[in-house]
Amino acid sequence: MDTLNTLLLGFISIVLINNLVLTKFLGICPFLGVSGRIDMAFGMGMAVTFVVTLSGILTWMIDHFLLKPYDLQVMQYVCFILVIAGAVQLVEMYVRKFFPPLYESFGIFLPLITTNCAILGLCLFINLWEINSLIEAAVLSIGAGVGFTMAICIMAGIRENLNLVDVPKCLRGAPITLITAGLLTMAFMGFSGMIK
Amino acid sequence: MILASVAELMNSAWPAGVMMLGLGGLFAVILLVASEKLKVEVDAKVEAIQGSLPGVDCGACGFAGCGSYAKAVAADPELIGKCAPGGSATAEKIAEILSLSVGGGAAPLRPVIHCNADIDNRTYYAKYEGIESCTAANALTNVQACKFGCVGYGDCVASCKFDAIHIVNGLATVDYDKCTGCTACSKACPKNIIEMVPFSEPAMTVVACHSQETGRMTRQMCKVGCIGCGLCKKNSDIFAVNNNLASVIYTDYKVDEGVETATTKCPTKVIKRVGKGVIAESKVESPVA
Repeated sequence: MDTLNTLLLGFISIVLINNLVLTKFLGICPFLGVSGRIDMAFGMGMAVTFVVTLSGILTWMIDHFLLKPYDLQVMQYVCFILVIAGAVQLVEMYVRKFFPPLYESFGIFLPLITTNCAILGLCLFINLWEINSLIEAAVLSIGAGVGFTMAICIMAGIRENLNLVDVPKCLRGAPITLITAGLLTMAFMGFSGMIK
Repeated sequence: MILASVAELMNSAWPAGVMMLGLGGLFAVILLVASEKLKVEVDAKVEAIQGSLPGVDCGACGFAGCGSYAKAVAADPELIGKCAPGGSATAEKIAEILSLSVGGGAAPLRPVIHCNADIDNRTYYAKYEGIESCTAANALTNVQACKFGCVGYGDCVASCKFDAIHIVNGLATVDYDKCTGCTACSKACPKNIIEMVPFSEPAMTVVACHSQETGRMTRQMCKVGCIGCGLCKKNSDIFAVNNNLASVIYTDYKVDEGVETATTKCPTKVIKRVGKGVIAESKVESPVA
């Protein structure tokens, strides 16, 4: 019961309170770049969720079974990037083989996940928060992906409606998008302190 | 001295090196196995065809994008020539890749705006202040007097991937130098006033009105609408008048004296020539008028 409680709280906290995009400001590039249409945003969110889950679990294992016992934590960044790049390559091949339409609609975004800092950020956070069980690391990883998907879908929904609004000429395009992102972030700050 | 510190570095750094080598090697092996197991056979022809396409994903061919058109055309060569932006040059390239030959080819389709009324010539019953899109404005009746004419909020402009259509003084205007004939604008227009016409010549004679109101009604609403008087039909056989609206029969299109007379005699000057070279003239004229 206690573990379940921890897992549930961890999940909610990473989705809402410590949302990687809106409170840690990680993964802003796809958050602004791919949030033009809801279906694309959802696809990107799913891809990120998949990769972040895989790489979160893998990096936790590498960290715990290889780096920590040999006191090599200085190598974290290099190893984690290696794992993420490998995982993305693997996902790309898999999707291309078994879901060709999905592969075509992702286009360049799939390889770009490699450089999505939200994923490296999550791997490092898992380490920073001293998560000691594999299940908790896995739940946090999935939660991070869900949080990213939620943030990018909310943003895409707002931007789809923004297209129909008479925005002042000087604010059209990137400026109004950034202002929207800022307001969204402020809204999410209301969640902080919800779980003590 | 330096040698000693390098040696020391080496001594303390070797576990890290071994670790990276090990991990790198492991991932290399996994990816190597995966790339063999998950190999996707890509037809060389499909890739070559995709390379010869314009790559703008406009959808004029009826497929999702250039990639899916390339796949379809490789499987079924009868689909050659569906690529509007590429035109006959692309059709020939694809035929070459598939070792076929194409002959002739129809005249390229270009959009014609069947409305001649810029904002000064139109009558409005009310002021529209809603969402700035033709589709939304079209949902409200009785804002613009003419039910058939251009609304002027630029759904066609938004749909164009080639910057070839613009709203000039409230009226959609095609830039025929940039237009590739992809039909996106004609699909986007809620009034259906953009017709794809086979341009057998660089510039064509068109009837720039779509109003099927009676002549009297049209005159009340618009200074430049077709009143269906039939004068053009008397002068040339390429015109037809149905439902109070003149139109050009493009299957028998040819320019002769009768067409010239009809163009000059048209009481509302709704018969005009559009196409390459014509736009520039009107742009020069407009400040004077």
